Amino acid sequence: MSSIEQAFVQSLLEDQKRVSGRRLNEARKLELAFGGSYGHVEVKMGRTRLVAQVSSQVAKPRDDRPFEGLFLITTDVSSMASPRFENGRQTVDELMVTRLIEKAIRRSNALDLESLCIVAGQSCWMVRADVHYLEYDGGFIDASCIAVIAALLHFRRPDTSIDGSRTIVHTLDERPPVPLSVLHVPICVSWSFFDNDIIVVDADEAEQDLRIGSMTITINKDRDICQFTKAGKIPLSSQQIIECCEQAHGRAREITDLIHEKLKQDFEKRNRGNMGFDLAENDR
Amino acid sequence: MSRFEIYSPEGLRADGRRWNELRHIKCGINTHSKSADGSAVVEMGASKVVCIVQGPQEPETRSRVREKATLSVSVTVAPFSTTERSKHVTNDRRLQEMSANLQNLFEEAVLTHLHPRTEIVCSLTVIAQDGGLLSCCINAMTLALIDAGLPMYEYVSACSVALFDQTPLLDPNNVEETELASVTVGIVGETDKISLLILERRLGLDRLPPALELGVEGCKVLRQVMDKEVRRHGAMRLASRAE
Amino acid sequence: MLVKRASAQSVNHKVFVRSTKAGNAVKVYREQYLRDDIPCGSQLCTLCAEISVPDAKGDFPVPVLSSAPNSTTKRGPHYVVIDTNVALKAIDLLEHPGCLYDVIVPQIVLEEVRNRSLPIYARLRALTAGHDKRFYVFHNEFRSETHVERTPGESINDRNDRAIRRVAKWYSEHLAKVKKAPQVLLLTNDKKNLELAHKDGINASTLHSYIAEYKDSGDLLDIIPAEESFTKESQTQIYPNYYSSSQILAGIKNGFLHQGKLQISRYNYLEASVHTEAYPKPLLVIGRESMNRAFDGDKVVLEILPKSKWRSPLNNIADEENVDANIAAENDDGQAIVTDEERSILAKDALNAQHHEKVQPTARVVGIMKRNWRFYVGQVAPESVNDKIDSGALRSVFFVPLDKRIPRIRIRSRKPQALVDQRIVVAIDDWPVYSRSPQGHFVRALGEIESKSAETEAILLEHDIEYRPFPKAALDCLPQEGHDWKPGMNDPLFEKRRDLRDLLICSIDPPRCQDIDDALHARELPNGNYQVGVHIADVTHFVKASTPLDAEGALRGTSTYLVDKRIDMLPTLLGTDLCSLRPDVERYAFSVLWELDQNANIVSVEFTKSLIRSRYAFEYEEAQARIDDASQQDDLTKGMRALLKLSKKLKQKRLDAGALNLSSPEVKVMTDSETSDPSSVELKNVVDTMSLVEEFMLLANITVARKIYDAYPQTAMLRRHAAPPATNFDILNDQLRLRGQPQIDLESSKTLADSLDRIQDPNDPYFNTLVRIMATRCMMAAEYFAAGNFAQPEFRHYGLASEIYTHFTSPIRRYADIVAHRQLAGAIGYESLHASHYMKNKLDGICDNINMRHRNAQLAGRASIEYYVGQMLKDNESLQEGYVIRVFSNGFGVLVPRFGLESVVYLQDICNPDEAELDEDTYTLKIMQDGKSRSITVFDTIKVFVKSVKDNKGKRQVKMLLG
Repeated sequence: MSSIEQAFVQSLLEDQKRVSGRRLNEARKLELAFGGSYGHVEVKMGRTRLVAQVSSQVAKPRDDRPFEGLFLITTDVSSMASPRFENGRQTVDELMVTRLIEKAIRRSNALDLESLCIVAGQSCWMVRADVHYLEYDGGFIDASCIAVIAALLHFRRPDTSIDGSRTIVHTLDERPPVPLSVLHVPICVSWSFFDNDIIVVDADEAEQDLRIGSMTITINKDRDICQFTKAGKIPLSSQQIIECCEQAHGRAREITDLIHEKLKQDFEKRNRGNMGFDLAENDR
Repeated sequence: MSRFEIYSPEGLRADGRRWNELRHIKCGINTHSKSADGSAVVEMGASKVVCIVQGPQEPETRSRVREKATLSVSVTVAPFSTTERSKHVTNDRRLQEMSANLQNLFEEAVLTHLHPRTEIVCSLTVIAQDGGLLSCCINAMTLALIDAGLPMYEYVSACSVALFDQTPLLDPNNVEETELASVTVGIVGETDKISLLILERRLGLDRLPPALELGVEGCKVLRQVMDKEVRRHGAMRLASRAE
Repeated sequence: MLVKRASAQSVNHKVFVRSTKAGNAVKVYREQYLRDDIPCGSQLCTLCAEISVPDAKGDFPVPVLSSAPNSTTKRGPHYVVIDTNVALKAIDLLEHPGCLYDVIVPQIVLEEVRNRSLPIYARLRALTAGHDKRFYVFHNEFRSETHVERTPGESINDRNDRAIRRVAKWYSEHLAKVKKAPQVLLLTNDKKNLELAHKDGINASTLHSYIAEYKDSGDLLDIIPAEESFTKESQTQIYPNYYSSSQILAGIKNGFLHQGKLQISRYNYLEASVHTEAYPKPLLVIGRESMNRAFDGDKVVLEILPKSKWRSPLNNIADEENVDANIAAENDDGQAIVTDEERSILAKDALNAQHHEKVQPTARVVGIMKRNWRFYVGQVAPESVNDKIDSGALRSVFFVPLDKRIPRIRIRSRKPQALVDQRIVVAIDDWPVYSRSPQGHFVRALGEIESKSAETEAILLEHDIEYRPFPKAALDCLPQEGHDWKPGMNDPLFEKRRDLRDLLICSIDPPRCQDIDDALHARELPNGNYQVGVHIADVTHFVKASTPLDAEGALRGTSTYLVDKRIDMLPTLLGTDLCSLRPDVERYAFSVLWELDQNANIVSVEFTKSLIRSRYAFEYEEAQARIDDASQQDDLTKGMRALLKLSKKLKQKRLDAGALNLSSPEVKVMTDSETSDPSSVELKNVVDTMSLVEEFMLLANITVARKIYDAYPQTAMLRRHAAPPATNFDILNDQLRLRGQPQIDLESSKTLADSLDRIQDPNDPYFNTLVRIMATRCMMAAEYFAAGNFAQPEFRHYGLASEIYTHFTSPIRRYADIVAHRQLAGAIGYESLHASHYMKNKLDGICDNINMRHRNAQLAGRASIEYYVGQMLKDNESLQEGYVIRVFSNGFGVLVPRFGLESVVYLQDICNPDEAELDEDTYTLKIMQDGKSRSITVFDTIKVFVKSVKDNKGKRQVKMLLG
């Protein structure tokens, strides 16, 4: 980014304005679309665009955690998204993105690993969430977190049953696949810090290049902070921090509702047309 | 499951402390004077971190030549630092993240613009782990940077707070950290404004304020302890120069 | 200043070696901070008031130990210090309001208790939290004066004992400074500890001699376990290993090992029985050791125990959760597998068991051929969860299954607290020899306990009912047109169907019935006879053999009816639309057409696939009203009147032949239409039109059974009901004899029916029904079978007094009927029969499955009613009349006809069980209640309080108490 561009963005910010016309505490509009297969989600935030795909397979559990399934999140930042990224090499910033998503979703136990156990110590489900970045315009953390959690909610894994001491994995035709047990929906909200104590929510690419630091809060609808990362730059009083958390909570509620709304629409769409879906349970 | 009550109704923690007590703190400055420009050792309870600072010096790579001094931080964990000797010592990502956080935090405190086109290399070695790893690293780094004679606005001090139900527990040890959610708070100078805040486990938003308050107070005490050590060391040096 | 620093001088370094899960030894280092601000907790002490510090909320600790503490006959005012074993073994006494006030619990005791038994720890903590018994936890490990270091060579137990003695000593020295200081007494039952205490000049006593100092010590002493049980036990008894497979094979071949299916008693989880080929009576398997990790329904290999150990079945009731509640989930390994409580249950019983005439052979499990493991539904035992908040660390907790016959399962979870209020599903992983309980893992949560959705799903899962949506493959077999399907579409066999659309057909069903699978018509023929038709929904037109849809139906076997839900065997498109014989639409049917004479004798019969149009769908009462309304003179009503007339004749003929009228305590739950909460319970009432439909369905079933048996003598799908063996009625007849009632005559079903009619109690009209209910339980269950499996005389349906019988009339909700339809279609040459329905081994498999599904569906229906009745009783406790139907040595079973409820009254709830006496010859239980003796005999009418209580494990149960 040229110096003159930088100066322009900075001066706008100092006048409480942004290039995109948003207010300082206004996030971009979120678009969410589910694909044809279970667990495929495309998320758009402004020009940032990415895809998450969840898949599952039977694997052997870790020796030290025989009662739990496996859950992996991989992020693929390639030069497809933006020329700034190099294929196959991870910068510190990218590492921080990966770590944050990992902490926000995996370490906050959003996915109930215990319910993925098939036979303790022998077999379990391995759930993978792969995130591919298609276009970059800032806000990777927030967008990827939404994509992964939405994909997890959308995904259906094959059903299993027990016959004596044998376990059977049913094909999708044999038995309707079952949803994963998602315990809560963590949503990330990121702030960017600029010189002269300016704080901005959901920065785009230009703003991200200029910022001096950032802060990411992950919170769910139930007001549980799942992760909080702020390292230096603008010091905040605890009151300011709580205010930011409240703002994040408001956004988390909005996004959670949006995800659920979209999920409902998607499943209604799937069940229409041919009688693709027939409940055995009916009112008497 | 823990063999002990984490926080008993009588108000005592598993190691005999009360809720608002720091563990014993031992810090030393200029401990490795021969091998580095600045060095320090900080012990918080049974956690122990050594920090060594080199620089400001000429950067090793071109990319680190900037208008301000570049802080490069690396953290190594000694394999014997935990109860069970870990085989995979290089838990890369976690340590890399920690390094990045340290670097971001200290860029705020160190007057880097006074040393353009230089690099300040900070190497932290974790000797023993018993909770509060990140805060221990921050405190050690502050002392080592001071020892190296680098200009800083103020002391950077940090400590963590765990939450047992509604009660904040200051400076949790390893047992408390595994059982409870905890936050690490870091401040620059004697202020109520929080510079660093790291939380990695689920915690109800409404339980956060008391933890922050206690954490800030803890940091202030740590700052005093470090200040005392710096002044003690300074006085000693002055005395030796006077001779 | 808010924050304090611990000084370096106060740090005490604790180093110890611990073994890890992997078996390695690791050195653990912990810091410990010693302090001087831990108060003694006595109200007399002025020193400690100065050193106390406030907690995070700013509250100062309140001294709890009284300034005027308790005293006994021999002892002046004193404080008591307890040791670990006293806390573990005598927790009941500690909780007793009659003794032991002002107790000092050293921290080390609390820690040891916590590691040995979480439930007892929780009870001890509850005592210290409440102030009425004045229990005080003294943190001796952190107070610098009372902290003791372990000396080289000293065992950890000895160190802890020394620490406790140090507490006692410190207290007496500390309190010596105040005026009128109370004594400090150390209570320990450990001999060595006692000796050392005396040597140190510490006031010490055993629990027993101390309690004896109280005035009314008799009652108190009863509560303490015997002195011997205090000796530190090092019992590491484990389950015996199973025999090797070669040993088992040889043993079975030589006849000294036997195999069979283990069935655990519903009344007592310590007793199981196994039917084997070698013994006429079932083999008894009694106690945990003998059961040796077998589950209910497992196919096990047994070894007979020596004759000296043969015995009669247990005559008391036991629930595992009431017996073993104090075992900690964490350190389960290597504990005694038989707890003291269990031993006492078995021992009490063994006394009279040996000499009793009803001795049965006993056996122990030495191998398991096939496990019957499935998913189990239940809940986490709250007392096994100790954290207030889940920390994310792995915890062991106990899972209590809904099914009382399944043992508690140890599961490991990182979020036990979140699971406490949940109905959860658990799968079993293993039951190793060193573990007292089987080990499993959490599968998923169904929802909050007692919520309707969770409980309904629990019922379905527990009864292995397939309630998931239909799989895609099955749905793909439905007609493409969906609800727009019309007769004749894509049907090459349409030509073969007879057009019966002009017949005045109607259906009569229960209210709000959506899946109408039968319809009827009757018309008078010119010759004075009647043409009667039964038209059954032609399900097999849509469900072709060997398609995924057919496989799904075969698997489900039957529809299941719960109070507010129906779990369909077939997709709703078929059940409530395409197959349902709804009025005024054209539907396919399979018709049985008879010509009946005036006396309802069959003149001729004809079977045909048909096309019909029902004119009206009646509800029972509506149909009754129409028939009774003399102004209705249309042909449809006339036909119905003819049907009613003929049905009465058919019924009389059947009763004359000896058909039984048995009873079950069936009730109907009325639900509020808005909220579908249960509002009341009603006994089912009967109208004539019900039996109208029933009679013709029976006739159709019998007629079809004959036809398909003729066509397929090996594989016809039939249903039989065997005559009950006379021995089944021994006890009931004995009880009737004692009551002065006539005996039930088992000569034939006719005599049985007649003798049941004779049993009457002029004072109690319900008595006859009660006996019928009990007689029903002595009967065999009816079953589906392939004709080739039995000789023709054994086809007999005992209850219906019919020579041959099948199910044909409800193909929408029973798979047996689908098979019968296909076989009938084959028999009349409409369509060739699919191979799976004329191959005997295939058909045997189908029969086994549908028999099981049928039974499970019935049980699930009952469980659903039970749940709703329980919910309804939640707010209305009431006094009801009940009948004693079974007596045990520690309780008795009561049936309350008003709710169709059966439950057990435990003696421990109403009187002292030790004073009760069971006379097995007269089925009488003598109890002492409020100083009066009272006897309870089978058939007695008693008043009981019926209420629904949530027990301490959060499980709702119907509880009855003597009124």
